[in-house]
Amino acid sequence: MRNPIKDQVAIVGVGSTGFSRDAGERSPKSLACEASIRAIRDAGLTAKDINGVVSTQEPMAPQPHRLSAALGIPDVTHFSSPTPVAMFSLIDAMNAIFSGACDTVLVSFAFQRLPWNSRSAARDPFRKFDITGGVVPMPESMDPSAAYTAWASRYIHEHGVPREALGRVALNMRANALRNPLATMKTPLTMKDYLRARIIRDPLCLLDMDVPVDGADSFVLTTVEKAKEITDHPVVIHATSVGLVDQNDEDQLPSLAHHGQHVVVDALRKKSDVWLEDVDVFFPYDGFTIITLGWIENFGWCETGQAGCFLEEHWDDASGRVLIDGRIPLNPHGGSLSEGATRGSGHVREAVVQLRHQAGDRQVEGAQTALIGCGGFFFNSQGAILRRL
Amino acid sequence: MNEQLDDTALSQRFPWVRLDHDTKNLFRAWLDRRFVITRCDDCRRYHHPPKPVCPACWSSALTLTPVSGRGTAHLVMLLHQGAPAPGVDYGKGPHPVVTVELEEQEHLRFTSTVVDCPPEDVRIGMPLELVWIDRYGAPFPAFRPRENG
Repeated sequence: MRNPIKDQVAIVGVGSTGFSRDAGERSPKSLACEASIRAIRDAGLTAKDINGVVSTQEPMAPQPHRLSAALGIPDVTHFSSPTPVAMFSLIDAMNAIFSGACDTVLVSFAFQRLPWNSRSAARDPFRKFDITGGVVPMPESMDPSAAYTAWASRYIHEHGVPREALGRVALNMRANALRNPLATMKTPLTMKDYLRARIIRDPLCLLDMDVPVDGADSFVLTTVEKAKEITDHPVVIHATSVGLVDQNDEDQLPSLAHHGQHVVVDALRKKSDVWLEDVDVFFPYDGFTIITLGWIENFGWCETGQAGCFLEEHWDDASGRVLIDGRIPLNPHGGSLSEGATRGSGHVREAVVQLRHQAGDRQVEGAQTALIGCGGFFFNSQGAILRRL
Repeated sequence: MNEQLDDTALSQRFPWVRLDHDTKNLFRAWLDRRFVITRCDDCRRYHHPPKPVCPACWSSALTLTPVSGRGTAHLVMLLHQGAPAPGVDYGKGPHPVVTVELEEQEHLRFTSTVVDCPPEDVRIGMPLELVWIDRYGAPFPAFRPRENG
């Protein structure tokens, strides 16, 4: 499988507002601007160095031209607004740089809790977002969030796993979030807490679902040549892929043995010079706990149906989290479940921070390679391998 | 017969569906309690939800074809909270949502609810059969347990 872009584009800037369940009276554009200024400054650049703007299509997030106007970016030769989750935007920016459409790209992700996420969000008169398209919602809807629960039922049925298998995912993310100052969730979580949590859609409970937040992440991407002028050890994009199978309507997915994640893993493996034995830090998506189990199994860390056992075998009692082979953490920033529902931008940011060796007491010693499995099963499966040069 | 009901009137009967010209006649059939699935006249494969061409052979010769309504529960979840609907009271107990694999073809599935069965007894693998219930004044295909065979 061809991969001419391998190691040719670097992530040279990261910026985040941090995440909370209520950022107060701030617009998503304000959050995007704060994160973007931080990211551009982090790269040691200014607005005039940016000539590409990619702003992800999150509800109420600024369109790329509005963000560009707000930041006074002089001349832009590439702009776009890819759909979530995170890798669509990063891959678009990467491809634009490699093709010569532009040289240095600002990539923005801005999140705001929707009116139905919380009472304080509902009180904000400016948070108006219609996700229904004018139709009356129905209990039998197979929207993606319900569909993950439905397929979790199938996973439990096929493999006979206890709820604790999912619970370990939630506990791992929470333990990691407690060491991340940007994270929303700040209180410890026990298995007893998990098993007592309110069931929303049986078999999943409140703690199986990511936490809606206010906040923003931004990135600056540029050519590896320019990156080497900025830093001695650029973080480069080694390989990426997205994945889709033909029957991707949520309830028509052929099976848990063949969906978008399998396509991603197959492509990443063929495009990459490194694989699991080289990975120092692993970022499985965790919008729902079942998605995390899927990534662990589908990347081949363990056999199908064994992810719960795998988490138990590699559980580090001292830190209350997973360390594969006593070394490799899963989402050391706390993931979508406990840092906040950034739909993968948090995973990418932490990967960059780890590979720069700037993660403080979360740092994986000598980290060179990060593996990211982003998105779920249906229409947003994607992955990346990032490396430190 | 509701075959003659115009598209505007049809939309009003199904306020909970984002109808389009590919899907409208499937719902139109429901008004006559006809449970149909899109089938290709050329390769004879079924598919759901309705698409403008057959995904298996690209034929546009598609016919909404009556199916038995018999199948097996493939995915099961119990909503403890969710969207409101007439006859659904989350305060009285969870509401089952079931994806049924229809007997006509492997992986051909239809998602609805199960009636005439306590929610906690709804299980993956359970044999089910079609039953029509009412939703906002229009017929809605649901399922109930059936004797195996």
